[in-house]
Amino acid sequence: MNCTEAHASLDDSVDGTLSPVESLALDAHLARCPRCREALASLRALRDAAASLPHEITPGRDLWPEIVAATAARPAPSRRLTLPLALAAAAVVVLVAIGAWSWQHRATRQPGWTVAPLAGTPHVGATPISGDARLRPGDWLETDDASRARLDVGAIGEVRLEANSRVRFVGTAANQHRLELARGTLHALIWSPPRLFFVDTPAATAIDLGCAYTLAVDAEGHGIVRVTAGYVALENGPRTVVVPAGMMCAARRGTGPGTPFAADASPALRAALDRFDFHPAERTAALDEILRESRREDSVTLWHLLSQVPAGRRGDVFDQLAALHPPPEEVTREGILRADAVMLTRWAGELGLIAASDAPYRGP
Amino acid sequence: MPHVDEIAALPGSAVTDSPTPADEPHLIRRAQQRDAAAFERLYRLHVRRVYALCLRMTANVVRAEELTQTAFIAVWDRLPRFRGESAFGSWLHRLAVNIVLMDMRTARRREERIFSTCDLPAFERAGVPMHASVRLDLEQAIAALPPQARIVFVLHDIEGWKHAEIATHLGIATGTAKTHLHHARKHLQHALQ
Repeated sequence: MNCTEAHASLDDSVDGTLSPVESLALDAHLARCPRCREALASLRALRDAAASLPHEITPGRDLWPEIVAATAARPAPSRRLTLPLALAAAAVVVLVAIGAWSWQHRATRQPGWTVAPLAGTPHVGATPISGDARLRPGDWLETDDASRARLDVGAIGEVRLEANSRVRFVGTAANQHRLELARGTLHALIWSPPRLFFVDTPAATAIDLGCAYTLAVDAEGHGIVRVTAGYVALENGPRTVVVPAGMMCAARRGTGPGTPFAADASPALRAALDRFDFHPAERTAALDEILRESRREDSVTLWHLLSQVPAGRRGDVFDQLAALHPPPEEVTREGILRADAVMLTRWAGELGLIAASDAPYRGP
Repeated sequence: MPHVDEIAALPGSAVTDSPTPADEPHLIRRAQQRDAAAFERLYRLHVRRVYALCLRMTANVVRAEELTQTAFIAVWDRLPRFRGESAFGSWLHRLAVNIVLMDMRTARRREERIFSTCDLPAFERAGVPMHASVRLDLEQAIAALPPQARIVFVLHDIEGWKHAEIATHLGIATGTAKTHLHHARKHLQHALQ
């Protein structure tokens, strides 16, 4: 056996799958070849290190709320029934449904959404709640530092309110369900078609485009959204920014939404983006910092900047974005420099910004 | 303004009262009868294992979270048909592997091209005796492997699957699985030098 043949046998050797004859041949080679012995030791060390990696890792967030919401919304698995049995079963289902509806209707005939405490004692207005309660249009739901609450958004989703939060049920209609988050944090999981669920904040309105997200508002009315599934639009006056899953976006009272950024963007890039979005006098220096700090994962951020920087700096943004994520063939530097809408949209599509047909992109 | 990391931490990774394995058969029976509380306890018992698998196979935190959720939703759907012919954990993990593989085959979403990343903080949430920096270097190197090589390495060298099982799940020849493993190990040895 020579070194080439020995190297070809090393994987099987550490995995214990060499035949006795092959094993003897390899041993004979190893006895006289220190380089192959070293290669085998290195491979064994790697295998041992991999085998001792933890088999459990705790997710960074609780994944259960979305699971329970999805399973609760699903019908029970179907069983194969013969036709008469199926009809009989259907009749029973109808009767049970009528009964359940009657019972539930009696319990919830008053308008509003169901709210329930998840911890401590939240308040609806001045009333503490310890079990299921109704939140009516105009009511405020408030949590202190020891309480949290769950709010069923009609039949379209669920909102969880964190501690020290204050939210108002603005109203509900066939085409609109609306909350106002004055301060604190909420997690929304919405399974209705897009553009039915709205959350007003002092800085912007968050519009569900079929998604799960976390929205927080501080004491000054500034907000930030983190999208975990689907898309959210942040809207303030004429400005709308679509934030896709895996990204975040800040919004300032009086200014509106800023530029979306990847949830794992560097602190330096986030700080520079904050200066760019909300401190106009610092834009030039902030843009230099953003260009220096940006990685391929920040391509969506750079794409948004293409139409926000002065025309004289657009080339700098193009060059950095093109280096990190080359544009499609038909998108040219000249076209982007003149802010060609078709080319910008084409590039956005390459970056995943038009991934959902029910979330049409509306530019920055 | 609320800090990004504060928001990330808000939903928490708090684990409620984890059931002991002795509870499991009883929990499975109750969950098969559509008892959501029992199902939540099964989830709490197994989520960290499933998430670790999804995270290593995808090298993408957001996808790993989504696929973990998808796996448990699929478990809820299929649980009534679970007959206990294999251990519940094994059944669940194979289901999760299939879901990740199916997702990688059929849902190559465009945002993956810009969001895929090795998220080291996610790996830091595992408490292990191995020296932390060595483990993180290894996790990072695994995450940087080409997808097919990464999956074969994770299933073979971390999860302990046989080449034949891996080949069946991936729809490839056993020899191809061995080749992927060889390349993965070479990459990792080079990366860790």
